[in-house]
This record gives sequence, structure tokens and C-alpha cells, in this order.
Amino acid sequence: MAETVATLEHPPAGPARPKLAVRDLVVTRRTASGEVITATDRLSFEVAAGEFVCLLGPSGSGKTLLLNVLAGLEVPTSGEALVDGRPITGPAPDRAVLFQEPSLFPWLSVRGNVEVALEFVGVPAPERRDRAQRWLANVHLERWADAQPHELSAGMRQRAALARALAADPDVLLGDEPFGALDAQARELLQQELQRVWAESDSRKTFLFVTHNVREAALLADRVLVMSAAPGRLLEEFRIHAPRPRSLDDVLVGRVVSEIHDLLMREVDASVAREMAR
Amino acid sequence: MVDASRSTADEQLSELSLTEEEKLVLAKVADILRKIQFGTVVLVVQDGKVVQVEMAEKFRLR
Repeated sequence: MAETVATLEHPPAGPARPKLAVRDLVVTRRTASGEVITATDRLSFEVAAGEFVCLLGPSGSGKTLLLNVLAGLEVPTSGEALVDGRPITGPAPDRAVLFQEPSLFPWLSVRGNVEVALEFVGVPAPERRDRAQRWLANVHLERWADAQPHELSAGMRQRAALARALAADPDVLLGDEPFGALDAQARELLQQELQRVWAESDSRKTFLFVTHNVREAALLADRVLVMSAAPGRLLEEFRIHAPRPRSLDDVLVGRVVSEIHDLLMREVDASVAREMAR
Repeated sequence: MVDASRSTADEQLSELSLTEEEKLVLAKVADILRKIQFGTVVLVVQDGKVVQVEMAEKFRLR
């Protein structure tokens, strides 16, 4: 009992000093026909340092746009996006991004890809090889360090991208459907790896993943934020207090999955009805 | 609850004569119930003992 009491105290009820914060964020888009579409509508939330948050929503709810704003790749129409209380003005090495397609340099070896990321953040040359090797071992790719990305399976490429993102020791890891393009087995393997890596890292990193995979969100996150169909607003929040590694067979995970699933189905039905009434 | 044939909560508890360990589990569950409005609480039992208390709390945001 003693250790489980401790797990219930984590995560804290409300982030005292948020790592990431989004306040009244509005992002609009102009379509080819000139129509202005509101992707996210006055969205506000915070992510505490060391927290693992998944943002879940139907397609078109502005999840990717929101992540791009936090990555510094997109400028919001109004409202603000903050990291450590400072406005985000562009990409920076304190926020690594894991995309759906692992964007490895095809002309570099797996190790070379990790080393070049370390070079970008100013790690001295003698240290780069050790650190790259350590992270490749962490994601079980040490035997593939000298391979070219095209020699790897999709799952292995994404593991290499994960090693590259984390080797540079960012405070925040932003994931945009990072396992979306993987087959079911590779996805499950990576979800397990990620849980382990996140739990084992000495200083807990802050993870924010957007996904439309309900099971993935319930498996990985401390908190799941569920968004509405466009324009994206927050509908419900689930705080999951269960130790890791979790499994999809866990009763609590299954229960949360079915609740979120029902909520999303209702939301999709309602948004279809809204479209029909227009 | 108004069933006269049933004893009160206190009587039921004393009939059970709970062990210290069982009291701890009940205290933990009561503590959680006081904190959450909507959600799920799961007791994981192994070999007749509660080894873990898990919970998920739900909040409406709209």
C-alpha cells in the first residue's frame, strides 16, 4: 500500500509553475477560396514541469496547429503561448518535436543523425559520440548505429528520431502523432519504450503529445485533454493516477478509454449535426 | 438504508472487525471519494491483499 499512496499524489492537482501555458489562444486559417476558418477558439491550458499530457480530438480540431504554435513554427492569431512564463517567439532547443514522419537526414548514419542534433545544441565533439551511443542503446538501436535510415524499419526510424530528440536533453518533448504511421506492433513497442524512457529520465521531462488515438492517450498520459471538433475547444479533462508501465489491459486504462471514446463519438455526432444544419 | 432488519453502518463495521490493513485501504478509498466528483477508482488485489489503488478523475471544461 505504501508506494501506491505516493503514486496517487502525482501528478499535482494544479500546475504551480507551468512549463507550458496557452492562454485564450486563437488560430485562424484562410482557405484557398478566401474563407477564414477558426482552428482553435480561445483555448487555455497549462502543462506542469515533468507532466505527460496528451491532447486528443477529432481531426480538424486544431491539434497540430496548436502543437506548431508551442514548437514556435506557427504564430497565433491572438492569445499567447508561453514556455517558463516567456512568450514563444520561435523554435528553440528547449523544445524538441517528434513528427509523424521521422525526419532523419538520409545521408547520415543513425548515429550521425543523433550526433548532428548534439552539435546543433553545442555539445563538444568528444562528448557527442558517447551521448549518441547511450541514447541509441536506450532505444535498443546500438547495433544499428552505423546503418543508414533507409535500412531501418519504420518503427526503428521512429525510435532513432526519439533518441535524437531526447539526446539533446530538451526540457519539453512535443509529439505530433509520433506513432501514427506505425503498424500496431511497432506502435505498442514504442509506447512501452517511451513510458520507460520517460519514467527513467533523471529529471522528468515535460511531454505534450497530440493524437487521435484514445488508447495511446490513456496509456501514456498523466492528463488527457479532450478537444471538440473545429473550432477546437476543451471539452473534458481526465487525470489518470496509475503507476507505469501501464498496459492496455489495465482495468482503469480500459475504463478511461471507453469514457473518452463515448465522449468523442457524441462530439463527432454533434458536429455532423451542426454541419447539416448550416 | 431505512431497512429495519439491517444494522447501522457502525454495527456492520464492528461485526467485520477489520484488520489494520483493511482499515488503511478503506481510509485511502474514503480519502479519494472526498476528493473527486466524477471518476473511477480501481483496487488491484493480489493474493488477497490490495496492492494498488488507481484512479482516474474527470472534469468538465466546457
